[in-house]
Amino acid sequence: MLGGLAAAAAITALIAGIAGAWSPCGFSMVDTIGGALGNARRGATLVACATFALGTLAGGALTFGSLALLGSLAGHGVAGLREGLGAALALAAAIADWRGVRIAPQIRRQVPERWRWTLPLPLACALYGVLLGLGFTTFVLAFAVWALAGISFAAGDPLLGVLVGLAFGAGRALPVLWMAPGLREDGSGARRLEEMAREPRLWLGLRRLDALGLGLCALALAGVSAGAQPLAPATDPSAAAGALAWQQPGGSGLLSQGGSAPLALPGSHPALGGANVAWATPAQVVVADRATLQPKLALAVAGVSALAVSDGWVVYRDDDAQGERLIAVSLADPAQRRYLAGSRLAGQVSRPALDSSSVVFALDTPRRSELVLVDLATGRRRVLRQARRDAAYFNPSLLGGQVLFERVTRCVQQLRIAGLGRRGGRVLLSLPSTVARDPGYQRGYTHAYNSASGCRNRRPGRGGSTLLGATALSASGAYVTKLGPGPGDAAIVSVAR
Amino acid sequence: MRPEQERLSDAVLRRSSRRGFLEWAGAAVIALAGGRAVANGLLQDDAEAAYTNFCGHTYTTGNCPHPTGLPRVDRHDYPLRASDGHPVDDLGRPIDSQGYPVNAQGQVLRDANGEPLAPAPRSKVCPAAGRAHGLELRTDGSWYRCCGGRVRRLMDCCGYTNVRVNGDEALVGYCYAGRHVFCVQYYETMVPC
Repeated sequence: MLGGLAAAAAITALIAGIAGAWSPCGFSMVDTIGGALGNARRGATLVACATFALGTLAGGALTFGSLALLGSLAGHGVAGLREGLGAALALAAAIADWRGVRIAPQIRRQVPERWRWTLPLPLACALYGVLLGLGFTTFVLAFAVWALAGISFAAGDPLLGVLVGLAFGAGRALPVLWMAPGLREDGSGARRLEEMAREPRLWLGLRRLDALGLGLCALALAGVSAGAQPLAPATDPSAAAGALAWQQPGGSGLLSQGGSAPLALPGSHPALGGANVAWATPAQVVVADRATLQPKLALAVAGVSALAVSDGWVVYRDDDAQGERLIAVSLADPAQRRYLAGSRLAGQVSRPALDSSSVVFALDTPRRSELVLVDLATGRRRVLRQARRDAAYFNPSLLGGQVLFERVTRCVQQLRIAGLGRRGGRVLLSLPSTVARDPGYQRGYTHAYNSASGCRNRRPGRGGSTLLGATALSASGAYVTKLGPGPGDAAIVSVAR
Repeated sequence: MRPEQERLSDAVLRRSSRRGFLEWAGAAVIALAGGRAVANGLLQDDAEAAYTNFCGHTYTTGNCPHPTGLPRVDRHDYPLRASDGHPVDDLGRPIDSQGYPVNAQGQVLRDANGEPLAPAPRSKVCPAAGRAHGLELRTDGSWYRCCGGRVRRLMDCCGYTNVRVNGDEALVGYCYAGRHVFCVQYYETMVPC
């Protein structure tokens, strides 16, 4: 969903940036860069064009990236509310831009003219570019600029913010790059500038294009907002092509396809993958056709506590007195079983996730925490993430070369998504840690030097009440279980990816 | 203690070891106090001194990063919750003897399906502080003070560094062989005082 939002917001930002050419500063820039030095120093004009463009890109990225960063820091305390407000703002701005409503609030300021005389032209133009790229330091020529600020904040994704900022900066630079070099040389730039000055309808047309883009943004944000409504009580989500399955705490599995009402499955720990659905009964693992629920295969396995399925494989975790084991079974040849991992104690091998023939799971012990990927076709085993101190990795999911996982430290619980070969990962959701923390000093003593023991994202005290649990990944979003203090306080929420 | 005094005391320590400084200060106090201190036969424990961050810690080096805040450790340097001495993992969760997170009653925490929550790494506080800052750190010397009715061991986490966790100049403290104090931690003994 965020991919569609990012594309719509970036195109809108590009157009909003171009519309800024009709501002007093926009005209001034063309004249300053293209006209001040004339033909005698065309090279200097081109350098000034380049520095101006770099400045607009930097300014745009700074403004919208910062707003998105602020949005990400604001957290996800109220699911969908922020996205809903962002959608409402985008829609209101779209209507205003479509109707050509006079811009309000307007910023009636211009860039400092004296820089043109006191600074070298490339430097002055770079600074002018930064100011114009920042967006809110000079005249605003479309409601889209205000709306994009709100969208960046609502999305809360710094990458999206930077993308919007770069697009806006590029939009502010393009008219200058188009007209300034030819302003004196052959007069083409001057003609274009003159046409622009005589044709405000073009500006209004651009605002209408912005309105269309904002409408798309509003739709995308509204989709995220609607999808953010929690599903409760529910845990252990599994997603595939428009379908979602989950486990009712203490009950059976449920399956919802294409937004339909949930259907109770004849077993627990449901899993979706490809065209299949799987569930566990006390003595069996059943793999069935997802559309008809007709069983295709039943494996005699008792004590199953987690499942994953794809078109070619089923992976289950079973528990008994000897511990827990993760076993992969080929659907084409059920006699072919492969031991993937195990532990003498329960709780150290996570719920598995399958994508085609790749399975991912977490292994967590007091010595280390790691995310493991196994290619069932080749047997190749790969550690995707590993921590021996300060952090742990939990609850991975896998789809299309991307892994969704939780990284937990003493301060924070993060839901992250990353490419299989990538380090780090993008944070989709961030919650404070649930552990109680003292302030790092004893009351009554000087406490000026305890920053190493603090957590910037949270205060001392009891900690958050929500624990992140099992996850699922689909093409349109990510799902994560939020566990509350009570056994029945489990809910699945969707998060834009 | 006022900041100027702290800086002065730090400066003194930078020029000498803390043990040397304390010995010198103790001798001076005894000499000034004369017969009374000598009669007591001991240097008064400075329980009323303006310790930094926690009881017993003199001077200004900051705490070693610790999962729950105050840098309380067990005798093997693994983290404990300062309030009650319960073992915690690197995420700050109270754990049982096998590393599983537990609730206030000591029962293993479980997810919505009844499965135990997964364990997490548990690492020694001082070396972990070093790895986090690209240093090889170890606990060298210690000092003991009476805090809250029990003898507390103040432990310096030392390494070959001139910068401490505070970001400024590191002191010699109780470190040996040219090492300096990077951060501090403590161990609560069972000995009453």
